[in-house]
Amino acid sequence: MAPKATILAACLLLVAALGSGVSGDGLVNEDVKRTVDLSSHLAKTTAEIVLSNQGNSGVQSFVLAVEADLAPHLAYIGATVSEPFPTHITQAERQLVVFQGNHYLFSPYPTRSQTTRVRLASKTAESYTKLGNPAKSDEVLEYGPFRDVAPFSEDTMKIHYENNSPFLTISSITRIIEVSHWGNIAVEETIDLRHTGANLKGPFSRYDYQRQSDSGISSVKSFKTILPASAQDVYYRDEIGNISTSHLQVLDDSVEVEVRPRFPLFGGWKTHYIIGYNLPSYEYLYTLGDQYALKMRLVDHVYDDQVIDSMTVKIILPEGARNIHVDTPYKIDRMPNQLHYTYLDTFGRPVLVATKNNLVEQHIQDVVVHYNFNKILMLQEPLLVVGAFYILFFTVIIYVRLDFAITKDPAAEVRMKVASITEQVLTLVNKRLGLYRHMDEVVNRYKQSRDTGALNSGRKTLEADHRALTNEISSLQARLKAEGSDLADKVGEVQKLDGQLKELVCRSSQEAERLVAGKVKKEAYIESEKTLISRRQELVGRIDSLLDAL
Amino acid sequence: MSVRFGDVTAAARCNDPEFKTHAHGERERERERLAHVTRGHRGQDNRSRAGTTARGSFYAGAGKAWHESDARAREQTPRTGQRAREMAEHHAASDGKHKASAGAGGSVHGSSRPGAAVGGGGGGGTGKGGLSGGLTQPAGWQSLLSFSILFLACLAGFSSRLFAVIRFESIIHEFDPWFNYRSTHHLTTNGFYEFLNWFDERAWYPLGRIVGGTVYPGLMVTAGLIHYVLNLLHITVHIRDVCVFLAPVFSGLTAISTFLLTRELWNQGAGLLAACFIAIVPGYISRSVAGSFDNEGIAIFALQFTYYLWVKSVKTGSVFWAIGCCLSYFYMVSAWGGYVFIINLIPLHVFALLLMQRYSRRVYIAYSTFYIVGLVLSMQIPFVGFQPIRTSEHMAAAGVFALLQAYALLQYLKDRLTRQEFQTLFFLGVSLAAGVVFLTVIYLTYTGVYVPLARAHYAKIHIPIIASVSEHQPTTWVSFFFDLHILVCTFPAGLWFCIKNINDERVFVALYAISAVYFAGVMVRLMLTLTPVVCMLSAVAFSSVFEHYMGDDTKREKPPAEDSSDEDDKRNSGNLYDKVKSIVTMLMLMLLMMFAVHCTWVTSNAYSSPSVVLASYNHDGTRNILDDFREAYYWLRQNTDEHVRVMSWWDYGYQIAGMANRTTLVDNNTWNNSHIALVSRSNVDYVLIIFGGVIGYSGDDINKFLWMVRIAEGEHPKDIRESDYFTPQGEFRVDKAGSPTLLNCLMYKMSYYRFGEMQLDFRTPPGFDRTRNAEIGNKDIKFKHLEEAFTSEHWLVRIYKVKNLDNREPLDHKLRSVVPRQKYTSKKVTAVGPFVSIAFPKTPRGCFVLSTRSVYCHRGAKKPENIHM
Repeated sequence: MAPKATILAACLLLVAALGSGVSGDGLVNEDVKRTVDLSSHLAKTTAEIVLSNQGNSGVQSFVLAVEADLAPHLAYIGATVSEPFPTHITQAERQLVVFQGNHYLFSPYPTRSQTTRVRLASKTAESYTKLGNPAKSDEVLEYGPFRDVAPFSEDTMKIHYENNSPFLTISSITRIIEVSHWGNIAVEETIDLRHTGANLKGPFSRYDYQRQSDSGISSVKSFKTILPASAQDVYYRDEIGNISTSHLQVLDDSVEVEVRPRFPLFGGWKTHYIIGYNLPSYEYLYTLGDQYALKMRLVDHVYDDQVIDSMTVKIILPEGARNIHVDTPYKIDRMPNQLHYTYLDTFGRPVLVATKNNLVEQHIQDVVVHYNFNKILMLQEPLLVVGAFYILFFTVIIYVRLDFAITKDPAAEVRMKVASITEQVLTLVNKRLGLYRHMDEVVNRYKQSRDTGALNSGRKTLEADHRALTNEISSLQARLKAEGSDLADKVGEVQKLDGQLKELVCRSSQEAERLVAGKVKKEAYIESEKTLISRRQELVGRIDSLLDAL
Repeated sequence: MSVRFGDVTAAARCNDPEFKTHAHGERERERERLAHVTRGHRGQDNRSRAGTTARGSFYAGAGKAWHESDARAREQTPRTGQRAREMAEHHAASDGKHKASAGAGGSVHGSSRPGAAVGGGGGGGTGKGGLSGGLTQPAGWQSLLSFSILFLACLAGFSSRLFAVIRFESIIHEFDPWFNYRSTHHLTTNGFYEFLNWFDERAWYPLGRIVGGTVYPGLMVTAGLIHYVLNLLHITVHIRDVCVFLAPVFSGLTAISTFLLTRELWNQGAGLLAACFIAIVPGYISRSVAGSFDNEGIAIFALQFTYYLWVKSVKTGSVFWAIGCCLSYFYMVSAWGGYVFIINLIPLHVFALLLMQRYSRRVYIAYSTFYIVGLVLSMQIPFVGFQPIRTSEHMAAAGVFALLQAYALLQYLKDRLTRQEFQTLFFLGVSLAAGVVFLTVIYLTYTGVYVPLARAHYAKIHIPIIASVSEHQPTTWVSFFFDLHILVCTFPAGLWFCIKNINDERVFVALYAISAVYFAGVMVRLMLTLTPVVCMLSAVAFSSVFEHYMGDDTKREKPPAEDSSDEDDKRNSGNLYDKVKSIVTMLMLMLLMMFAVHCTWVTSNAYSSPSVVLASYNHDGTRNILDDFREAYYWLRQNTDEHVRVMSWWDYGYQIAGMANRTTLVDNNTWNNSHIALVSRSNVDYVLIIFGGVIGYSGDDINKFLWMVRIAEGEHPKDIRESDYFTPQGEFRVDKAGSPTLLNCLMYKMSYYRFGEMQLDFRTPPGFDRTRNAEIGNKDIKFKHLEEAFTSEHWLVRIYKVKNLDNREPLDHKLRSVVPRQKYTSKKVTAVGPFVSIAFPKTPRGCFVLSTRSVYCHRGAKKPENIHM
């Protein structure tokens, strides 16, 4: 494994004193203060430049040059290289790093005066170039000041120093942002992580690692990932399941995940994990009529001073999004759009795919995706569910109601027919018995209210209903007979018994009438009523038993 | 007659308490009415009861009535009535259920009863009849109730299996499921044919494994199919989740098929009880929790469903059901090796029916169809191949098939010939032929059925690798009770009920019960086949008891109404009876309640640990997750070369293949003893061991070490002797008193490397092993050929890297001249490969240990040309 180049990001604070009406060629760096921060694995160069325009014309811009051999490592503005040396260390050893840079600011303009200040990660420096006899105090090296440096001048600065900060590199990250108009944005990052410091040589001893604090000092135990404050349902897993060694801390302005890989990462070791969370869409999705704008970070924080070798971003928009237009903060490589199918999708969700290599923390910036979406399409998914259930129930109904037998069994059919007829007979007979019950109530009421009109009307309805029911039963009986069932006889018997029963009911109402009219004594009435009831019970019992046999 | 009906009604009612309260409410209201109105209303009540009767009664009379009709038909048509008998049989079969209660009523052709229309739907599904009846009908309520009980049983079964998912995560458990998962993953990514042709070079290094031909593909295909269908519908579920939740889903299906089978055997109420039992019984949950993605999970469903279809086809004698049975059997064959149980039990059933003079055309049709189609179908599974016509396990089925044909021929001739002719023929030909067939069949049946058992016994005693698996131990009473709780006590009662009211299908369940009990006694693992039948028979027992003690209200109410002569006597005895009744009912319900509690407890505590992730609890109840296995496997996966070979004890083979995706020497597929014994005499890059001394994990490799030694001794008795690893007192000790052979063997050294310096506790000396509670005897451990590559956080998994060859003595050109080893030169140098012998690097042949090619050359085995992949 070749030692990996580490990247430098230079932030420029430009204090430019521009003369009036001068040409671009007359620019001179009056005073340059460079600071090279080597305290982490990332070399950060800051240059404060006082620029003066010695020419005659006004200057709209100036050129910042980058050393040719650093170009591939350039992440943000500039880059430089530091490599672990020796490239393989044992668990007990400390990690030493060689930084190679330029003593001077690499600039197309002449420089009047400049200083370079290098901040190291530790006090220990094995060696450093002695140009201009630099002063070293603790962790700081001071070069310069250098006077009147020519344009494009280079002089190799080489510092070999101890740096135990974890050399973590994200060799690839895939960030998937899935937007749902139902109020959720799901973010998932698949990360390949590698420790790009000095490789571990020889055995890894857990005993030493646990017992000695300085054992494996350059290894990575854990790091913090900062998620947006509204992140919910955070998960942290890999191909073989949840990684149980993580902690989540919800702060006011962010959610901090302490990501601990399954095993400590030593030099050359790598790991792979997935981290994902949900965000409420109202914080990131803006809408005006049918127009929507999604404003999200193109790449998010993984760990402090992160270095990403290659990144792929996929933004999944809702099904039916049209006129998609992307505003990126910096140039990224767009790939052809894809389609993504997930729950309840029919024609697929558009997926924007973009890649970019070499990213650092400064790339954490917002991307804006504009698109149009017809709100009617929101109904599509519920309707789909409704439709599916409708079809399901409809099929069941069809299946239950229709006969799909390919053979006809006449006996069974007759049986079914007979059964349905008897079912009807039973209902009717019971209804008829209910009529008597109703009549009894009418009689009772009559006994109290002595309202003959009510009694008569009750009797009339009884008669009418009874006749209708009896007729119906007789017709059913005829049908039973037609089917050749012996049950027709039983129904006939029921009819006969019912005739007697009805007579009894009529008699009891007559008795009641006579009692009210005073034609019979109360005792006699009670006596006759008793016999009537017992006979009725007997009849009902017989009808019951007949019905049971049906 | 009406009393009889009351009886049946009671039976139907007691099954569903809700219905009872409903009926009770009716009765309450009745009482409020005037006395003379009451009778009028009773008509309604009775009618409802009649409807109920039709649905719910495969009552005791069922089989009897049907056999009566069968017999009667045969009597009526002694000679020429072939057609008539056929019709009668068909009639009896297709309408057996109706006739059952009709038989109770005394009429054979009781087809015109009111419930017939409603009951007609009952055969097909639960809710069907109810729908046509509507909810105004009690039958409608009943089917709704049955449906919801069944649904709730499935739901309960599903959700009680989710403990592990809720406590941990959606993860594949244990060992074998990891292989299944890996194969399923392969299936879904590469397609079915690729899967069938898959040669897995990651297993059994250097042999490899032809996965397609050495697995029962049913499980993988099922999961793959579900995944495929879901993804077709754009339900983007990961295959892992499909695999994790497959067993709980199938347990729901098992509940349904158990319901169907029990309904065929007894009645609907018993069916519902059985469904509830099987949904939560620990004996089944142990193999079907979420995450245990194993054959058994789906096989029990297939088993029960096959039995249901078999019973159905025996009952109806229809080819349709028999073909259904074959298809289900095919599924079972594709899913689990336990299909042998079916292919022996069904012939046994047929044989028993023949012996019991219960032969009928239905049995003939059912078995002939089943045997032929089932045989052809079962041979379509590559792993099974021609076994069904070659091995003794399947011969019983063939024998019974032949016997059945002979018997049928006999019956046929009986109808065709005169009595005289027949007798002659019988005595001459048939006795000879049948005798021969009988003898063969008996012989074959004997060997067929009992050989597996004998083999199981043999294997257990003589092959240490089989004995080394804990699930192959004989079952103890404790585990019977643990897995079945109250059911183990009640199921003999159910069996007795079944035998008391015997009919064709109850013969089947009795045989099922007896054979399953026997198998379960032999091996803990076979508890699984016992569990369903125990659930069914216990359900029968409970159902019968409840029939007697819960549903008698109506029966008691009726007699006083009809004859009031000795009403008072009845009342008194009734009151006493009432008390007994409620006590019994309460007791039974208590038992069931305790059963449910026990099931939940066992599931939650014993069967819901993924075993890949361990959990420990602090004093304050917070939980620590020990994720060492995955830590180490993931390290292997990420930070070793893709082609490295990892040596470990065979338990971990599947997990290494599944989680670390690395080549293993041996895994859980125990087909090759000598290979397992030789584990290590080959060319490996890493050695992985499990060491529980730090956290007190008892299932580690030191504790399993004796089995390794035994297996190795079984294969190489001259090199390895178990006794070397014991102290003179016959103890297996790791402390200073332990046997020097043990203290210097590689396994010991790998386990305790640098452990001697570690002080876990202030009260214990350094190097104190918490698992074995002893201070280790050898603290100064140095390796020559190994170096520690990785040790997980709690030291549970330790991985050693085998140093490159160039560190060792060269042994190239001299190899051929190496004299075969003197066997007993030095007992200490008992080289079974690095586990044991690397401890002695000074041996003259130390070179052979762990060296790459030398092993093969030295052993005179085939020279591995392409070992270095």
